[in-house]
Amino acid sequence: MAALPRRIIKETQRLMAEPVPGISAVPDESNARYFHVIVTGPEDSPFEGGLFKLELFLPEDYPMSAPKVRFITKIYHPNIDKLGRICLDILKDKWSPALQIRTVLLSIQALLSAPNPDDPLANDVAELWKINEIEAIRNAKEWTRKYAMDN
Amino acid sequence: MMAECTINDNIDESDSDYSDEDFETYYHPMEYGDSEENHNPVDAEDPELFPVECLTMEQVEMFLNEAVNSVCHILNINMSLAKLFLLFNNWDVEKIISGYKLDITSFLISSRVLPTLQSQQQSANIDDNDCQCEQQQPGSGNIINDNVFICPVCTCSSLKSLGLCLECQHTFCTECWTTYVEVKISEGQSTEITCMAQNCNLLLQEVIALKLPISSYLKLQYQHFAFHNYVISHPLLRFCVGPNCNVIFKAKQSLAKRIVCPQCKSVFCFKCGDSYHAPTDCATIKNWLTKCADDSETANYFSAHTKDCPNCNICIEKNGGCNHMQCYKCRHDFCWMCLGDWKGHGSEYYECSRYKENSETANESAKARAALRKYLHYYERWQNHAKSLKLEEKTLEKIKDRINQKVMNGSGTWIDWQYLLDAAALLAKCRYTLQYTYPYAYYMNNESKNLFEYQQAQLEAEIENLSWKVERAETTDRGDLENQMYIAEKRRKTLLKDFFQT
Repeated sequence: MAALPRRIIKETQRLMAEPVPGISAVPDESNARYFHVIVTGPEDSPFEGGLFKLELFLPEDYPMSAPKVRFITKIYHPNIDKLGRICLDILKDKWSPALQIRTVLLSIQALLSAPNPDDPLANDVAELWKINEIEAIRNAKEWTRKYAMDN
Repeated sequence: MMAECTINDNIDESDSDYSDEDFETYYHPMEYGDSEENHNPVDAEDPELFPVECLTMEQVEMFLNEAVNSVCHILNINMSLAKLFLLFNNWDVEKIISGYKLDITSFLISSRVLPTLQSQQQSANIDDNDCQCEQQQPGSGNIINDNVFICPVCTCSSLKSLGLCLECQHTFCTECWTTYVEVKISEGQSTEITCMAQNCNLLLQEVIALKLPISSYLKLQYQHFAFHNYVISHPLLRFCVGPNCNVIFKAKQSLAKRIVCPQCKSVFCFKCGDSYHAPTDCATIKNWLTKCADDSETANYFSAHTKDCPNCNICIEKNGGCNHMQCYKCRHDFCWMCLGDWKGHGSEYYECSRYKENSETANESAKARAALRKYLHYYERWQNHAKSLKLEEKTLEKIKDRINQKVMNGSGTWIDWQYLLDAAALLAKCRYTLQYTYPYAYYMNNESKNLFEYQQAQLEAEIENLSWKVERAETTDRGDLENQMYIAEKRRKTLLKDFFQT
């Protein structure tokens, strides 16, 4: 593999030196483009108190292409499907090379605070979120407790 | 309409009955069929007449360049900018010139050449503040001193003279721009490539993109994709819809008329590129097709197996023989036959005369039912003619086989039998139009509906006559068949003339 671009080195250094509150992103020992990410559930959200594991991969043409990010921890959220794939505009068509790992992770954290059932990825979850938000939030808390609080 | 088995029976019979005498009556080498159009090409009354030119890519480029050059010349701007204006304004030169002259700044903003006033202010603020600051400003190059800046994408410092920015002043190094544009081109983008900064939608003009040191292959790709965008955005040009067909059509007006590709024989509507749909217009047929895709299966099932509860309107499926129904949801007791309240239903409910009485209570559900019934009425006919068209394709195959047999047996020459093929082609054409009259009728809502339905019924009757005669072609007199063809086509033209507005 080609040498790691300066941009990735810089970003990694900065992530380690000044971590974003509530988010940790550590590069894999054997692959500097693969990050082990842990996002804490935002306060006042059904995910509060949970620790959510994600994986983040920087593709060959990063930053021209968006990083690939996926939840590993199961999560009950209308914009995240059962495989952990995330529906977020900046990871798709709204990606800009000026965005960074840091901004992406912050956006994901914001998505946990503000689910958007009108642009769903997990249809059943989004449906319930629209029809019966109280029950949906109860489910989300239940899942958080079950899957994101083990350790 | 007749069942398929009878078709076979009849053709088989007629085949064995066939004699040379019959043949004599067929043997009149007169011309008819689609020749009507060929013989009267200047039938200005023909509602389907639509002259188009088939152009090659080079010819289209010349045609587009005329517009580009005139905009360049009149506004005194470069070609790249002129192309961008044209692309965003449907190639309407006059609109561009008047818009540009009216207010250059807002025209440039709406064409995504200049940033919006809001973002202009934002970047002005950044310029004021970031002289020596170390914090990285996303989207705006960090200026270390007068000659060097840090590219926010690769985080490398480079000479300001090597940076590149659009009017938004979001500066990135040329190397990053190049990689970015290469990635975008390989994703199939060209004229739609924007500035790299987040939420900045300024367009990277062709002239700038092609000056970057990208590979010559990708430059060609860029031009190829851009050409595609230009043609697609031009209301008077249309690519043939046929797979791998390179023909580009040019018309004098953008109308919903029939195009038949001379190369791949695809038939489609010039305006929307979908299947030809006269007499229905593009928007209506789109609505109709969406509706059919959404509703048809469910609607069919509902109609066949369910009724709505007269009390709460929930949809109920009957799962037993008894007509005394109790609604699962609201526990309302009612009669399945008349939808009336079960109270007062004696043993003689088969004579239910309560339908009218109860029509008010079941008003909402009746409306929904009526809407569904209306839709299904048109949908069934639409579907039915689509099926008939398919079946008649089979008939055509049979006709071809039979012609071959006849010719092999020495009953006439191949040319003698061509009128049968003409008849089959005309039948398909008429039935196709008939099929598309149903969506038109479904959405029609004015006083001319009676006239339309009358003409539709007339057309339908003649088409069924024609279909009957084509299926029994060998026992039908040729003159009779040709007469029927003439009548059917006349009816079709009359209907189109009266109702096909483009």
